[in-house]
Amino acid sequence: MDVNLLVDLFGYLSIIVHGCTIVAQSMTIGGALFLFILALPMASKIGPQVAITTARMAAWAAFALVVCEAATVALQASVLMATVDLSLLDALGATSAEAGLVKIGAGLVLSALLFAYGTAAPRVPVLLLALVVLVAATMTTHAAARLDDQGVLLAASFLHQLGAAIWIGGIPAFVSALGTVHDRTGWLAVGARFSRMSMAGVACIVVSAAAFTFYYIAAPDALYGTAYGVMAMAKVAMFVMLLALGYGNFRAVERLKSGSDVAVPRMKRFAEIEIGIGFSIFFAAASLTSVPPSVDLVTDRVTWHEVVERNAPVWPRMVSPQHDVLALPALQAKLDAEAAAQHADHADHAFVPGAGFLPVRNAADIAWSEFNHHWAGVFVTLIGLLALLNQGGVRWARHWPLVFMGLAVFLFLRSDPEVWPMGDEGFFESLRDIEVLQHRFFVFLTMAFALFEWRVRLGGWNNTWAPKVFPLLTAIGGAALLTHSHAISNVKDALLIELTHTPLALFAIASGWARWLEIRSEGRLSRVAGWLWPVFFLAVGLILLDYREA
Amino acid sequence: MQKISRRLLVISMGMALLLPLTREAQAHAILLESTPEIGGSAQAGPSAVHLRYNSRIDRVRSRLILTRPDKSTEVLPILNEGSDDVLNSHIDLTPGEYSIRWQVLAVDGHITRGDIPFTVEAR
Repeated sequence: MDVNLLVDLFGYLSIIVHGCTIVAQSMTIGGALFLFILALPMASKIGPQVAITTARMAAWAAFALVVCEAATVALQASVLMATVDLSLLDALGATSAEAGLVKIGAGLVLSALLFAYGTAAPRVPVLLLALVVLVAATMTTHAAARLDDQGVLLAASFLHQLGAAIWIGGIPAFVSALGTVHDRTGWLAVGARFSRMSMAGVACIVVSAAAFTFYYIAAPDALYGTAYGVMAMAKVAMFVMLLALGYGNFRAVERLKSGSDVAVPRMKRFAEIEIGIGFSIFFAAASLTSVPPSVDLVTDRVTWHEVVERNAPVWPRMVSPQHDVLALPALQAKLDAEAAAQHADHADHAFVPGAGFLPVRNAADIAWSEFNHHWAGVFVTLIGLLALLNQGGVRWARHWPLVFMGLAVFLFLRSDPEVWPMGDEGFFESLRDIEVLQHRFFVFLTMAFALFEWRVRLGGWNNTWAPKVFPLLTAIGGAALLTHSHAISNVKDALLIELTHTPLALFAIASGWARWLEIRSEGRLSRVAGWLWPVFFLAVGLILLDYREA
Repeated sequence: MQKISRRLLVISMGMALLLPLTREAQAHAILLESTPEIGGSAQAGPSAVHLRYNSRIDRVRSRLILTRPDKSTEVLPILNEGSDDVLNSHIDLTPGEYSIRWQVLAVDGHITRGDIPFTVEAR
């Protein structure tokens, strides 16, 4: 495989795998803590099944952690072996690889203990192994590579991951426990104890986040002027969403104490959404580890004036530039002409996918891209409006998923102008370009899920999982957008584009989970959520309509 | 870099995404200063190469590749000297357009790469 392509692949695969690793790690540690702090001590009130299920979940999470970490180490080692001509042993000698191997070992033993002994797994060894995992994970954070203030930053990184594990990592076990117990005493016991655990987790997160803000961000203008700051702000926004849901659960526990269990279903639904938003934060965190802290970027920060100027509303671009004036087709035409003049057998390619170089770009390319975004905004706004009409009782508007089909066709034709059917690059040849591959994959998925949701809207599908596909994919899409939203480090234009990505991602996440709430809850809560998600969708469309690259 | 905008188009509808795929910039370790400078010039003859980053670098697992004016490439030896955030090497140059491609492994496990194009002038 081409070495540059390999490094590109490593770049994005490592973020995906790292996100999965954080999820697995947090569920392992959070599950173990839930087991020993809540499920086992309270077994007399909530029954033995909660502990049994929690132990099994933690065991599987530990196993998943081993798999994810092994993938991380293997990816890194393979890239180093291919690009720096190292032996496997030398590649595995890197500090981060050693930390990864320690995590794999600890996770393996942890998983084996929990699988073999279940709720009888020895407490001290399990917790010690969880500690080893946390310490090793800390050695692959930004703090491990810092030149200054390393001690305090390592401590903050440790605390941050611990807090995330206690709170977010424990929520799956919490949801499972709420579903397992069936009486008010049990719900109250689980809710009250987990509420206190969550508060401890939140405290760890807040304290460590304050340290990160002080050492990594340092100045207010870095919050919007650097990729690290923007991503940190997005994490804070989702953290606030989680706190609001957590507060809802706290209120539910208070109502349980006063003798009413009407809020229990709401508590379950909120906790489900907390899992989704919490995991989105984990993927954002994985992405955050791949960009340098704000303090290291002292030049080319985006100013507030530039942010305002770029986002000032302008009329959308509804007319596309001609294909042949785009940079790549123009360059290809020039190369073809040169080859013809020299009677060469074939002309050089203007762009070779996977060669490690970004394609050339001119003003027409920017106009092309803006045109694409603005029309995509028209499609999405239309979807939001139709969904609102449908919510208001307009029956024919239930066909709104079909608009997605139009969008998918539009994207297929327009997203990569250098590629078939518009460009000279062959379909299969172009799939070497990670981005083109990604686009094609998304178009395929869009078509599939548009058909799916349309079928759901037409009625007749009575299974319980079919309606969940749309909200889940929307929320996952938002999280995915968040994870990739800083593909560039310190280039102003790139960051200005990123500043549009972040609210898009947050609205998509909010929309997906609001729709989830509509499906999963009843009464007023369901109705409110049913009106909210199309509004969030509409917001995505409006942001797209105002999107600019220059 | 601007290709991410087209990616945005596809992704932004908040739908149909199962994988957070991206052309990652590998921007974790950033080059703070270099000799020769990016887009700068150097004198022909023996010359020192010095690169300084924002984080601690694993020298053994990093690489510098020089591309000469005739497009031939050469792996530059990385000297075991200096603080944890620097890479040092040396080259012998004749006039022309050169480029150094660097790839570094930061101690926290991130692989980053970049290019330093520069011109060599006759003494």
